[in-house]
This record gives sequence, structure tokens and C-alpha cells, in this order.
Amino acid sequence: MALTTVDHSALKVNQTGIVATVLVAFIGSYFYRPLLVLIPLLAVVLLVGTFAPQLALFKQFYFKVLKPRGIVKPRPVQDRPEPHNFAQGLGGVFLVISSVFLLPVPVIGLALALLVAVLAFVNLAFGYCLGCQIYFQLGKRGLIRAS
Amino acid sequence: MNTQLWALAAAGTVVLAAAGLEAYRAARARRLAAGTTSAPAAEPYILYFTGDNCTVCRTHQEPALAKLGSVRVDKVDAVAERELADRFHVYTLPTTVVMTADGRALHVNYGYAPANKLDRQLAEARSGLTLEQTATA
Repeated sequence: MALTTVDHSALKVNQTGIVATVLVAFIGSYFYRPLLVLIPLLAVVLLVGTFAPQLALFKQFYFKVLKPRGIVKPRPVQDRPEPHNFAQGLGGVFLVISSVFLLPVPVIGLALALLVAVLAFVNLAFGYCLGCQIYFQLGKRGLIRAS
Repeated sequence: MNTQLWALAAAGTVVLAAAGLEAYRAARARRLAAGTTSAPAAEPYILYFTGDNCTVCRTHQEPALAKLGSVRVDKVDAVAERELADRFHVYTLPTTVVMTADGRALHVNYGYAPANKLDRQLAEARSGLTLEQTATA
């Protein structure tokens, strides 16, 4: 499959959005418990963005606001968007599971949300994308058409 | 705050356990891949396992390999050439293998390997160190 151009700044903004939202929900929920609703909302944002990239909230914020105003500079890279979308979808699925646990067992719900934030941070800071590695492993085993 | 602290502890434990498992997995794969042979060459060279889906390969690993100058780099698609990838226990991309001139794997790097690390490993390959010597060095 041919490579295309992926703007990595959009991915970084997306990861920043995930980390920030989870942190606000995590810390904020101590003072104001209803802030936990941010976690299921983030799950919806990630899953919708996976299947309809034009509706990906953080990426659209980058394309419509941050990039045109020069706040964040574009960083186009010859890449494939599929592994990144897969990783985002995986994050969304984990946040759905986290949301299910938030009310009955909030410790598990919050811990899962924190793990998603940690992985987004690792990707943001070090460029290591666990979801992309899982995508590679699935492709290698022929479970998805990875190349 | 108890809930938040317990959640933090749980997430931290999972992260530490995952890091430990990853370290164990890399060490095991390195041990299994060590000494694996491939084609001999005039000079030490690098087997570079990559794939279409590997972003870090393009953003980090390839610029690092370009800094090595005239070193021979054999690029291998880990998905298309699965047999070769399995022989070197490639479980993550990028993976770089520093091969001696007689075709033995001297160093296996799972994940991004910076240019200075590869340079050091190539120098060892040129000096003719054996894998056992580098492991105990």
C-alpha cells in the first residue's frame, strides 16, 4: 500500500488533547466528581475520530485553529495513517471499558484512563506508539491487512 | 483522594510490570537472536528491519542510519520477509542487527537505535569482538 503524507503535528495535538483531558478528569474529579464524564466523552471523541477522521475533535482543532494561525507548525511525514487510527481506536476502546467501570469500581475506571494517558504521553514525548506495534504484530500474523 | 491514589498505584503497577516484561522480552529475544548468521560481506553491515506501518523508522531510525555514512544497510520488510524476521526474533519495529563481516549477528537492537550506539557497535564488529566478549564487556 502506498505511503501518503501524514501531518504529525495533528497526531501530537491529538495526543496532547488525550493526556490533558484525562488529567483534568483525574485531578478534577477529586474536587468535582461530575468531571469524570470527560472520560466517556473522550472515548466517544476518539472512536468517532477513528471512523470519521473529519470529525476527530483534536485534529480538527489543529487543522482549523492551531495550524492556520501558525500556533503549531505542520510536520508532514511520508507515512500511513492506518496504524495511528488503529492506535486511536484502541485508546477509545480502553476508555469505553474505563467508562463502564467508572461508577461501580472507580479505581479500575480511573486506572484504565490513566494508562491510556500514559501511552499517549509516551507517544507524544518519545514517539513510541504501542497501538502501532500491535497493528504491526497483527499484520505479521495475517490478522489484518497491514501492508 | 483515596480513589485517585489507588488508581494511580494500579496504573503505576501496570506500567512497571509492562516495562519489566518488555525488558525481559527484549533480553530474551536478543539472547535467542545472538549469533544468528546471515550472508558474509567485506565489511560489517546492518540488517534494518522495517515496514510500511513503522513511523519511527522514517522519523528517527532512517535519519540515524543516514548519519553512519558509507556503512552497508540491508533494508528488510519484516512483514514481507517474515522468515528472516523470525530468525532474528523481530517483535518490534524498527529492529537493527549489527552483523560482522563473516555474517554473524553481533548486536541486536529492538526499537530505535541512535547513530552513536550503532557507530559503537560497528566499531566492535570491525575490531573482531565475539558476541560472548561484548556480552561480558
